[in-house]
Amino acid sequence: MKLSQAIPLRPCTASWVVLLGLTTITFELGSRAPSAALMTVVLALTLVKGQLVVSYFMGLRRVRPLWRLVMAAYLAAVGGVIALAYLTA
Amino acid sequence: MHIEASTDSAQPLPGDFAIWIFIFAELAVFGVLFAAYAFARSTHVDLFNASQLTLNRTSGFANTLVLVTSSYFVARATQSIKAGRGTACGHWLAGALGLGGVFLVLKLVEFHQDFAQGITLSTNLFYMFYLSLTFFHFMHVVMGMAILAVVTYKAYAGRYSAGNHTGVETGGSYWHMVDLVWIILFALVYVIH
Repeated sequence: MKLSQAIPLRPCTASWVVLLGLTTITFELGSRAPSAALMTVVLALTLVKGQLVVSYFMGLRRVRPLWRLVMAAYLAAVGGVIALAYLTA
Repeated sequence: MHIEASTDSAQPLPGDFAIWIFIFAELAVFGVLFAAYAFARSTHVDLFNASQLTLNRTSGFANTLVLVTSSYFVARATQSIKAGRGTACGHWLAGALGLGGVFLVLKLVEFHQDFAQGITLSTNLFYMFYLSLTFFHFMHVVMGMAILAVVTYKAYAGRYSAGNHTGVETGGSYWHMVDLVWIILFALVYVIH
C-alpha cells in the first residue's frame, strides 16, 4: 500500500487518520440489523485496521518478508475463524 | 531507490527479539480466546446478540479512538528518537501514557456500570467472555503502561539516541500489540452481531 504517495502526510499520520475513520464507520455499522454482509464488512474493516497498525505503527512494512507474512497470516487466520463461526451459526 | 527499498525490506523486527517471542505468544493466546468466543456464540446466538445490546458501545468506541491515538503517539516517539530528538520522544511517550490512563479510567467506569447492573462472570456465557476478555486485555494495558513509563523516564533522562533506540522500539512494539488486540476485541465483542 503506497499510502505516502496517495496522501501528503507521513505514512503513520495518514494511517492514524484512516484508523480513526474506519473505527467510526465500524461503530456506526454496529447499530445496523444483524446480517452476514454486515459481519463480513466489519470484519474486513477490522483486518485492514490491524494491518495498518502492523505496517505503519509497528513498522513491519520494512522488515523481512517472513515476519510480514507471519502477521498477515495471523490476521487472516483470526478473521477466517471468526467468519467461519458466524457463518455456520 | 530500488537498492534502498531492498535494504529496507531486509531489516530485522524492531526492538529486542525477545519481546517478539512474547508478542507472538500473546497474540496466539488472544487468537484462541477470540475463536472460543466466536464458536461459543455460534450455539447461543440469541443470548449473545441480546446481551451485546446491553454493552456501552460508545465507551468501547471512545476507547478504540484513545488506544489507536496512543499507539500513533508511540510510533511518533520512535521516529523522534531515530532522528535524535530525545525530549520530543519523551513528550510523545508521555502523551501515549496519558491516553493509556484515559483508557483505563473509561474501562473502569464501564466495569462499574456493569457491576452496578448486577452483571458478573456467572450471569451468562456472553458476560463471562466479555468480562474475561476485556479484563485480560485491561491487565495488558497496565503492563504496557508500566513498560512505557520506564521507557519515557529513560527518554527524558537522555538514555536513548539516534544510534541507541532499541528500548523505545521494544516497549513500543508491545504497546502496538495491545492496540492491535483491542481493535479486534472491539469489533468482535462490541460490534459484530
